Amino acid sequence: MATQLKEVDAVIVGLGWTGGIVAKELTQAGLKVVALERGAIRSPEKDFAVPIVRDELRFVVRHDLMQNTARDTLTIRNNPSQAALPMRRLGSFLPGEVVGGSAVHWSGHTWRWTDMEFKIRSMYEERYGKNFIPGDMTVQDWGITYAELEPYYDKFEYTAAVSGKAGNIGGQIQLGGNPFEAPRAREYPLPPLTPILASEMFTQAAKNNGYHPFPRPSANASRAYTNPDGSKFGACQYCGYCQRFGCEANAKGSPLITVIPIAMRNPNFELRTYSWVTRVLKATDGKRVTGVAYTNLLNGEEFEQPAGMVLLCAYAINNVHLMLLSGLGEPYDPVSQKGVIGKNYCYQTGAGATLFFEGRHFNPFMSAGGSNATIDDFNINWDFDRGKHGFVGGYNVAGGFNTALPIGYRPVPRGTPQWGKAWKAGTAKWYQTAMNIGASGSVMANRYNYYDLDPTYRNAFGQPLMRMTFDYKENEHRVGQHAAQVINDIAKSMNPTRLNEATVRTQWTVVPYQSTHNTGGTIMGTNPHDSALNKYLQSWDCHNLFVVGANVFPHNASYNPTGPVGALAYWTADAIKNRYLKNPGPLVPA
Amino acid sequence: MLLGAAGMAHAGGDPARGEKLYEDCVACHPIERGVHGIGPTLYGILGRKAGEIADYRYSPALRRSGITWTAEALDTFIADPLASVPANRMPYAGMPDAADRADLIAYLQKVSKSSTP
Repeated sequence: MATQLKEVDAVIVGLGWTGGIVAKELTQAGLKVVALERGAIRSPEKDFAVPIVRDELRFVVRHDLMQNTARDTLTIRNNPSQAALPMRRLGSFLPGEVVGGSAVHWSGHTWRWTDMEFKIRSMYEERYGKNFIPGDMTVQDWGITYAELEPYYDKFEYTAAVSGKAGNIGGQIQLGGNPFEAPRAREYPLPPLTPILASEMFTQAAKNNGYHPFPRPSANASRAYTNPDGSKFGACQYCGYCQRFGCEANAKGSPLITVIPIAMRNPNFELRTYSWVTRVLKATDGKRVTGVAYTNLLNGEEFEQPAGMVLLCAYAINNVHLMLLSGLGEPYDPVSQKGVIGKNYCYQTGAGATLFFEGRHFNPFMSAGGSNATIDDFNINWDFDRGKHGFVGGYNVAGGFNTALPIGYRPVPRGTPQWGKAWKAGTAKWYQTAMNIGASGSVMANRYNYYDLDPTYRNAFGQPLMRMTFDYKENEHRVGQHAAQVINDIAKSMNPTRLNEATVRTQWTVVPYQSTHNTGGTIMGTNPHDSALNKYLQSWDCHNLFVVGANVFPHNASYNPTGPVGALAYWTADAIKNRYLKNPGPLVPA
Repeated sequence: MLLGAAGMAHAGGDPARGEKLYEDCVACHPIERGVHGIGPTLYGILGRKAGEIADYRYSPALRRSGITWTAEALDTFIADPLASVPANRMPYAGMPDAADRADLIAYLQKVSKSSTP
């Protein structure tokens, strides 16, 4: 039998960016908080100091900081007519499984999603008419506005040490920044990273083609920094080990060096690692949750942790899984289109070209996570007329490097043999001469892209795996085609010696790595009929349940998700502190 | 100034300004006695031998260096750590400005003399 523990004010499931932010905020508000993290603790001192961190085998091949698929994974298929099979090895995306979560191994790209996402259906219908959005594209407005979120974006950027150049301060366009961004109240906390040759060449070429390049905003501290909470950052050393690694210089915006240690110093807070939550416990009236059940992974002991409030802050996929396993909310059915849990799973698309310049030395081993220049002319630029191209959404294009691994990064022109003497000669010849131009594209919600519980496969706890049904649809093919064309035009204008042209992704596969940007499944919205959560990420069904993370996004944009993930965590923490605690109940009438 | 006797490299160094410059170091080097981060504590660094703290894992290069951290040695090292001790593991590009280094060293010296950092 499970051991009953003493009730606490709040239990947090998963201690990454979102869990860390709410843990800090709620403990400072005087709440007694327990965080349950399935992973181990990792510390910069023990795990990320040079030379320990520079271990491609441990961190890239063996996924040291990531989910162990032997214990729990997903089953995957492209459409409902297929039988899904378990993903036995991580590939396309890499959920974190340590204290700090995926925010230990992220690259730090921090964007502000705008009303073009939050009001997507209204804006497209107003401009292009009711019939522009296809019938099976289940995009909907989020129920929140950019203006509401702006102070929280600001708070997150200053916490995470984002380096960048503002493009729009209070409506004034700023030279050198992103001219398409929504107005921000003030500059980034830190100036942009030092550009590298690849980003400089891309910047020049993009300008020559009439576009508007700017340095990518990234939580890689461009110089030493103390954030408003007093957390200390070193300066980024451009070491080249960013994505999939912890930071050897404490320069990456991570909850491990910011919000989590602050919570840990608070006597109101307790962290339990190796604690695997199997179920959220529901009150008999179904209107509240009473806590969570979890297993100590080290000895198999089972516990029930009662709590006044439950905050699901695990990786986006695992939050949805817990909701389904706990019978919270009605599971989504793509045929009847009834139910909400599992609805609107989205991913991202993309395209990429590799350019080879004989005689150039790009030194790809020297870069920060955010060492690139970006254009948003086909992304958050509302003047770009999608009508002609027949798609909703867009893409950003970037030139530069992120974690060009000494062993794994082997650029060679297409047609080079993939092994043997000729490959060795090719990699030696071309390694220094290559740079990349890549696009990251939005994915719109579709009624047939969703999560549910797998009927066949089970995890180590005997629970059904979550099943992911996903593929790119016509809209994404069009986004990808447009992106590939723009990339190839820019690339050709740079006159490379050789060019591996960008091509469109048609069918999604679970290998190779693409991006850890899985969204949706417990989406926020304006009413309980088509969303799982209200705008404060509070469950419509159980008012003391909050679900925080990219799982709340009703669709996926071109941008990396962490900006709004962090901002929404602060937004939710404020709503709890300032409103919910004073008057516990639904924050939005259903 | 009292610091005048401490050595050429930081003659006239301003410890108050040095404390501000220590922001470059503090994310990895705690200034509290006996507390290590990614780097070892710099409390009491003046006069210490390179690599001598038992509970910190130094690079072999630093342990072999034979350096005693005088103000002059610190000045040379901080200016360009990799040139000064090749194969050391500190991921820091260096502090090129001599006046900045003098201030930083003045701060380290002041803290090291204080018994309650």
